Amino acid sequence: MVRIRLKRLGAKKAPFYRIVVADQRTSRNGKSIAEIGYYDPTKEPSVLKVDEEMAKEWLAKGAQPSDTVKALLKKAGVIE
Amino acid sequence: MAIKNAFIDKMESEVTDLDILKTTLLYDFYGELLTDKQKEIYELFYQNDMSLSEIAGELEISRQAVRDQLKRTEKILSDYEDKLRLVEKFMANKASANRIRELIDELEEKNELSAESMNIAEQIRMAVDEITE
Repeated sequence: MVRIRLKRLGAKKAPFYRIVVADQRTSRNGKSIAEIGYYDPTKEPSVLKVDEEMAKEWLAKGAQPSDTVKALLKKAGVIE
Repeated sequence: MAIKNAFIDKMESEVTDLDILKTTLLYDFYGELLTDKQKEIYELFYQNDMSLSEIAGELEISRQAVRDQLKRTEKILSDYEDKLRLVEKFMANKASANRIRELIDELEEKNELSAESMNIAEQIRMAVDEITE
């Protein structure tokens, strides 16, 4: 199964997340298949950028978003 | 500041930016005080965004065991924060630092500062950056 999840980057005390598409089996250390956006909760207000077209494409292909990503995609207006 | 409802118990729609930021900062500040196992599970859940079932599969333990361990870890981190308040202080410092940066920008915009004053403004910015690093 292909999943869409957040991947933490950024230094200590300065978290930054990429929204990535990755195979479930390689999710832990494996490479991501694609990057569809990013999320920075340290900014006020938080910064959320999603490539809507890519996100919809991956969702249509059956990629399963994590709960957190699902919430962010809703916030970005990509899904209802 | 303490996380009232453990993140793990929240519905996806209830998770806020602040929750995500706090869970990450709690780990950045107090993570070294956890055991290796606690760290591993916390990282898989919060930093790799894996589900309880996925973590259970990866570590070959039950989903319930992952859940219990995560809840325990959240509680440990939250107890440290209740006593030490490092995350709270860090976030308050960051907010104050941003305010200082805004005020310096405003000062520069509204006044014709001399080269010397601009140099001082730059030094203030650098000092503020150091505080929040």
